[in-house]
Amino acid sequence: MAIDMTPAAGVGSPTDLEARGLKAAKPWFKGNMITALIGGGIGYAFGHWLGNAIASNYSVYVSSGQNEVAIYLSLIIGCLGWFIGLGALNYPIQKLLGLEPAEAPKSEKRTFWEHFTYSTDHKVVGVQYLFGMLLYFLVAGLLALGIRTELLSPVNHIWAPDTYIEIVGEHGTMMMMMMTSIVMGPFGNYLIPLMIGSKKMAFPRLEAASFWFTVPSFLILLSALWQGGFQSGWTGYAPLSIQGGPGQSDYDVAFALMALSMICASINMAATIINYRAPGMRWSRMPILSWGMITTAFTMLLSVPVLFDGLYVMSLDRGVRTAMLYAGHGGSSFLWENLFWFFGHPEVYLLALPGFAITVEMLPVFARKPVFALKTSTAGLIGVAVLSFFVWQHHLFMSGMNPDMRPLFMLTTELISIPTGFLYLVAMGTVWRGKIRFEVPMLFLLAVFWNFLWGGVTGVYNSDVPVDALVHGSFFVMAHFHFTIMGQLIFAVFAAVYYYTPLIFGIRLNDKLGKISFWIIFVAFNSTFLPLFMIGLLGQPRRVFEYAVRLQHLNQWVSISAYVLGFGILLYVINLIWSLAVTRTPSGPNPWESRGLEWQVGYPIPPDNFVKIPVVNRDPYGYGTGDDTPVADLDPVGDRAAVVTGGDA
Amino acid sequence: MNKGARISIVLVSAAVAVGLILFGIFGYLRTYPPTVVFTPSPTQPHTVDVTLQVDPDVGPGHAHPAWPGWFAKNAQGKWVQTTLYQVPERTYVHVTVYEYDSGGPLRNPIWGKVTGTVGNDVVLNGKTVSLLDAAQGFGVGHTIVAPALGLSVPVWGLSGTEKTFCQTGPCTLSNAHNVETFTFYTGNHPHNYRWQCFIPCGAGYLNGNGGPMATTGYMAGFWKVVA
Repeated sequence: MAIDMTPAAGVGSPTDLEARGLKAAKPWFKGNMITALIGGGIGYAFGHWLGNAIASNYSVYVSSGQNEVAIYLSLIIGCLGWFIGLGALNYPIQKLLGLEPAEAPKSEKRTFWEHFTYSTDHKVVGVQYLFGMLLYFLVAGLLALGIRTELLSPVNHIWAPDTYIEIVGEHGTMMMMMMTSIVMGPFGNYLIPLMIGSKKMAFPRLEAASFWFTVPSFLILLSALWQGGFQSGWTGYAPLSIQGGPGQSDYDVAFALMALSMICASINMAATIINYRAPGMRWSRMPILSWGMITTAFTMLLSVPVLFDGLYVMSLDRGVRTAMLYAGHGGSSFLWENLFWFFGHPEVYLLALPGFAITVEMLPVFARKPVFALKTSTAGLIGVAVLSFFVWQHHLFMSGMNPDMRPLFMLTTELISIPTGFLYLVAMGTVWRGKIRFEVPMLFLLAVFWNFLWGGVTGVYNSDVPVDALVHGSFFVMAHFHFTIMGQLIFAVFAAVYYYTPLIFGIRLNDKLGKISFWIIFVAFNSTFLPLFMIGLLGQPRRVFEYAVRLQHLNQWVSISAYVLGFGILLYVINLIWSLAVTRTPSGPNPWESRGLEWQVGYPIPPDNFVKIPVVNRDPYGYGTGDDTPVADLDPVGDRAAVVTGGDA
Repeated sequence: MNKGARISIVLVSAAVAVGLILFGIFGYLRTYPPTVVFTPSPTQPHTVDVTLQVDPDVGPGHAHPAWPGWFAKNAQGKWVQTTLYQVPERTYVHVTVYEYDSGGPLRNPIWGKVTGTVGNDVVLNGKTVSLLDAAQGFGVGHTIVAPALGLSVPVWGLSGTEKTFCQTGPCTLSNAHNVETFTFYTGNHPHNYRWQCFIPCGAGYLNGNGGPMATTGYMAGFWKVVA
């Protein structure tokens, strides 16, 4: 059966490189970050050479001094070299050669350096994702401070206008692109097998690939800053994107790599949740985070390939001068807008759904109550996921779309507030009359209620065509989506990092620092983004580095608040790093007294999660009900063990 | 690993991170073309002379040698590749432009009209004109447009087949060129006034936009009017 961990019968001998006289190649066959960087460098140089050999004489490239063929080939082949260096292709190549690759043994005590390898252990991948995503978030956050520094004054400039828009584009793209995986990456990969009673994820190599796509994606995207950036912003609208310099190609490739990452992660997540649930883990008993992951996975699977197609079209227009997105030669910039937003609006829910799910997952632990209307929250997740595919054209309200289509998309967009309301009300119902423990994670979760209220309510207004016509492209919209995404998702992630650190690392973060950082983040976040609604209504446009002098005081208030917000986040990160690396205060096995299956296996978590496949008895939210039935039988015997093996025991 | 070693690793890593950030910000993102400062002479306190040239290729030694771009003559008489010019407020700026680049017809003839200069005209090769008809001759090569100053000056282009057509900048008077002069007033509001060439001259980019058109130091810059 699917859960069986027995290796397949060997069809050949494990490769012995030394016996074959290939000792020097051994590091390449094991793979690590150094060989990956070397492989990436070689691939990059080869791609550049190849591109120049093919296209350096094209008149269009001679005129611009910019050979897009060389740029695309260098990035793509460089990425291939990166994966070869990591050892990602060892397994399939050995299989092709008829050999049975040796599996690396899983160790109970993970090492630091293990996290720099192409590991197929879901717990290692989860940790890789955790720190990767935090790094990406912090870099993108620093860029936001760069934006706010420029906006301190409408007259005196820190950046040139082109550099400013580069920074805005980088910040937006890095946040929207990389943060799609900030829950599924670390928490989905680490927790889902533990939550559903599985020993592993369904496709460990896809799982590893999904993380290692993000690294070159981030580096390539960041490198765009040093190559003139991409002045089209994160939405990449044509013809700006077709006119862009090398930085636009970086955007193209980086986003495509992240798309591949999302596709790999979502296939793996959906397959795992469908096929790898332990006996007794019925759909009705499944933790809400699992529901969040599977709805997110299907949303990704249906939307991200469309983005990938769009990026492919853009790369052809830029690289070999097709004209699919350029109206002047028979194409249509609407094609890109539709392809992009068919992904781009569901993407907003790729960010929101996991945020809702992980919020509802943690709330009962601190409210000491079962989830209120668990099935309704599941319906909310599914409803948001389904409806998210019918709203994308509200981004085109002001782009010259057929006006007759506006009411339809206005309606569908407003409809999405219904399943979203389910989730909000479920969360409120869970907290209502609970015995609330105001621990640090709970503080962040309670802040989600406040923040999302602002984001959600203003979202309803934004979806109305008349209001959208007024506030389109202004800071009002910007404030709206920061409240929904940062105010909801990132606050939930801050809660989750704090909450799950004892499970993942066996270490408790410093509570005092945690509470101080929470209050700074919460107050400064609202102080930063609430005035932006006003600034937007007063007419300040996004993506423009100058503004009316009368708005200077409001902008200065926002910028200073943003610095305080940055300080609060820095304090949070210092708490995390210092607690993990220096103080290392043991947390005990289940410090929050959670009933979740993931907390029952103890710390350190066994290499294969469970000594025996557990049999699940109930959902994990039975707080305060008086029913102390364990969530699962971790050591099933007799008839229950027979259930695990399908009756063969 | 003992606690001291762990602390050291954390602190060293933090220092490296801060170093990289500072390098990124100051090593590149805050690197702009220089600003050429124009000051009035003691005898003419409210007047400055600005001498510029615009070339088909800025030439080797610059970030994008094949892009067209602007040079300004600084106080030492040296040509500096930049689009950032500092001038005083309440001042008449006498601008002399040496055009070394080729021209062409305008997509919108309105860009051939001179506005915002004293008299709303320019002197082109010794002749006063207020409208450059790009359908005639070799057309318009570039424009100096600063919307907040109300300034829009088209610059007459050359034939690209001139025998002495300049290939790389900075060009010299021995190369084929047009000379255009005009004067504008800086007003009494110190401000960085954005200016931009509005003639799509980014060869190799879609519709001629992108590349130099979007880059400070080539076809976009500032008139920095200071108190």
